[in-house]
Amino acid sequence: MTVNPLLSVQNLTIDYIGAETDFRAADDVSFDIAPGEVFGLAGESGCGKSTIAYAINRLHKPPALIRRGRILFEGQDVLDLDDRALREFRWHKVAMVFQSAMNSLNPVLRVEAQFHDLLKRHRGYSKAQSRERAAEMLRLVDIPPERMRDYPHQFSGGMRQRIVIAICMALDPKLVVMDEPTTALDVVVQREILQRIDELRRSRGFSVLFITHDLGLMVQFCDRIGIMLRGNLVEQGTSDQIYHRPQHDYTKQLWASFPSLHGHPARLERASG
Amino acid sequence: MGAVLKSFAQNRKALTGLVIVAIIVALAVAAPWLTEYDPTRRVGRPHQPPSWDHWLGTTRIGQDVFARLLYGARTSLAVGFGAGLLITAVGTILGIVAGYKGGRTDEVISFFTNMVLVVPNLPLLLVLAAFIGQASPWVIALILGVTSWAWGARVTRAETLSVKQKDFVKSAEMLGEPSWRIMLFEIFPNVISIVGINFVGSVIFAVITEATLEFLGLGDPKTVSWGMMLFNAQNASALQVGAWWDILSPCFALVALGAGLSLLNFAVDEVANPRLRTGNTLSRWSLLMRQGEGRL
Amino acid sequence: MSFLFRRLGFYLAAFLAAATVNFFLPRLMPGDPIEIMFSSAGGDLSVENLEALKLTFGFVDGPLWQQYLTYLQSVFTGDLGRSIKYYPLPVTELLGRALIWTVGLMGTATLISFTLGTVLGIMAAWRRGSAFDVVFSVGAIMATSMPAMVLSLMALFFFGFELNWFPTGYAADPALDPAFSWQYVSSVVRHGILPVLTLSIVLTGGFLVTMRNNMINLLGEDYIVMARAKGLSNSRVMFWYAARNALLPTVSSLAIAMGTVLGGSLVTEVVFNYPGLGNTLYQAILARDYPVIQGQLLIMTLAMLTANFIVDISYVLLDPRLRSA
Repeated sequence: MTVNPLLSVQNLTIDYIGAETDFRAADDVSFDIAPGEVFGLAGESGCGKSTIAYAINRLHKPPALIRRGRILFEGQDVLDLDDRALREFRWHKVAMVFQSAMNSLNPVLRVEAQFHDLLKRHRGYSKAQSRERAAEMLRLVDIPPERMRDYPHQFSGGMRQRIVIAICMALDPKLVVMDEPTTALDVVVQREILQRIDELRRSRGFSVLFITHDLGLMVQFCDRIGIMLRGNLVEQGTSDQIYHRPQHDYTKQLWASFPSLHGHPARLERASG
Repeated sequence: MGAVLKSFAQNRKALTGLVIVAIIVALAVAAPWLTEYDPTRRVGRPHQPPSWDHWLGTTRIGQDVFARLLYGARTSLAVGFGAGLLITAVGTILGIVAGYKGGRTDEVISFFTNMVLVVPNLPLLLVLAAFIGQASPWVIALILGVTSWAWGARVTRAETLSVKQKDFVKSAEMLGEPSWRIMLFEIFPNVISIVGINFVGSVIFAVITEATLEFLGLGDPKTVSWGMMLFNAQNASALQVGAWWDILSPCFALVALGAGLSLLNFAVDEVANPRLRTGNTLSRWSLLMRQGEGRL
Repeated sequence: MSFLFRRLGFYLAAFLAAATVNFFLPRLMPGDPIEIMFSSAGGDLSVENLEALKLTFGFVDGPLWQQYLTYLQSVFTGDLGRSIKYYPLPVTELLGRALIWTVGLMGTATLISFTLGTVLGIMAAWRRGSAFDVVFSVGAIMATSMPAMVLSLMALFFFGFELNWFPTGYAADPALDPAFSWQYVSSVVRHGILPVLTLSIVLTGGFLVTMRNNMINLLGEDYIVMARAKGLSNSRVMFWYAARNALLPTVSSLAIAMGTVLGGSLVTEVVFNYPGLGNTLYQAILARDYPVIQGQLLIMTLAMLTANFIVDISYVLLDPRLRSA
């Protein structure tokens, strides 16, 4: 483990407040992500992994409540940022790819406008400067730059998710949080997108927090993995450990639900190498 | 079902609305015990201001306004609930049949629904009522029922379309249940919240529209109702001669009934659509935030 | 484009339906339809004039379909017959004069209430659960269940008769000649304030609730969360991401709301003795002037369909998904 983690989540506890009782979505969760590292959070839906992802950019709304814990990014507690500092922090430091590829882009704004509002906000770019930057980013994900004049519905699901990734790259963030980025896509597109992210990560040097319920996919893609069960982080280790020597019963159960994959370790070539 | 009733009972808006409507119903039922006057008789001098003898004054032809208000509530409530029931029944049946059957049936029903939605309702009612002549409250309820179902049919159809995809409907189909049974026992109970919203909304609409038609001179002059009270008062230039009690009494009665029903409607909407619910959860959240129990 | 053409075809069918109601209704009533429609004309009508009137409404010798076609022909050539009360004034002319005032009243009130209701709805949804939200959304629901005439009568009583702030009738000072003079225009504005205000209050609630609920349903969408994650300002997220999308279903509900707007304005006119369609109609009902009552259904249906078509066009302009289709 590196001495200075990029992100250090410490004792994070988050409740969803109910009328009488609360639902504990994350219970005393701690983990670190080093610069350039790919960290995975795995678990069934509802285990609290998305809750943690949202907390990193402080995107929660009532009735979510952060009871305890710290989220240190480069040593600074994100939870202490005031509104202004928070808006500067968002996307500039931590960019996000959301679950539904179909739905992450505003359907009534052109793609270029969705680059421009970001770049204007954070870098004070003019429309022309934004367009230039957008073209550069779109080329990274193999989308013809002239298509930035189009609306989201004119792209396929896979293309839309690539556009989101291009928007993620626009400010050169330190960390990219990916909340089930490929669940809505078919397997071929899924693989293509992950490979693209991995290439970008290696060329641009950001860290990744990768969230999925698909443990098989995760082992191929991540350096280290945390396993979540009902709000608790029950096991943490390198992909190798999680794959070959799972400690917790739940992790073993998870593997048992991927018989074919587990039966053919030869297929598990780690894309990140 | 129990949970729905419970969340309804905990809803302050629902309770307030229920109390208001219950009071109006009670007043209407108890009318003969609350006033000694016959609402249709001349019982005092014309346009007397409120006094001990006539709590809300008298009309231009010397009828007691309070008595007319109490007995008029009977008409407003009867037409409101009667027509509301009819509108909801027609809308629900058409909506479920269109949504479940699909195909040609759906096309035909949807076409008519959309058409009725764009033909302006009040002018259509005016023409119908004008040809009927002096429409009694029951005739008004009937024509409201046959002309105002379109909105309900539309929302019920949309809801049916989503319920239709559910497993329990599919399995009932596999078991070879006849379609009327599926619509009645599988679909209907699952669109009940939409039906509830439709019903309360239709009651409000019927109360307002009945009063409006009567106010515009299409009612039967012998009827004792809030709409006829407004029509008579307006015709007697009550405001111009300063007889404000004659006009404001039915106005406030309509406002009270409307407010009660709309609070109920709001509550039904919140119970049916959890996304719209705020209530206790949020207040508890704010309390915890203030106490420093956590942050966001 | 094909979307708009489909809508036009649909509107034609709807108009035809309204005309059909007008055609069959007198024939469905017990008794002689001619008696029903023209009885109040009494002896004022000469025989030729009555014949001409009958022709307009399809009362010709021959089978029903022939009568129907005759009637449709007069409707589609813009002949809605003549008023019986104001004989020989053509119905189109009588209603046309009144239409201007109604359109002015409706247009202003719709503009005010739609803008106000939408903005308040956005703010209520954005701060949902707050005191602002509770007060405005409950208030709005109550306003929608308040009959237009009740609010108008109360406004007339308090601001017209008691406080004497505004005139209590007519669209302008009757002593003035219509002209584009400051005096006349300001008189029109002064006479219009109360009717527009009450109508706007009745309508604002509906738009507020629609917009609020549409917004709340959208706020969980990924593109809204992503907009916040991008660090955009609250107002950018609120207006360009949330409200801009919530506006689409709100605009489509505007089309249905036009019926309420129309109904409300009819009633408001009667209360304020405003010389629009509503008042003309009220007089026609009292006199049982059937050609006028029937004519108003067609003219108002036409007005509704036009309003709907304008809504369709703005919908296409607002939603890029429809534009390219």
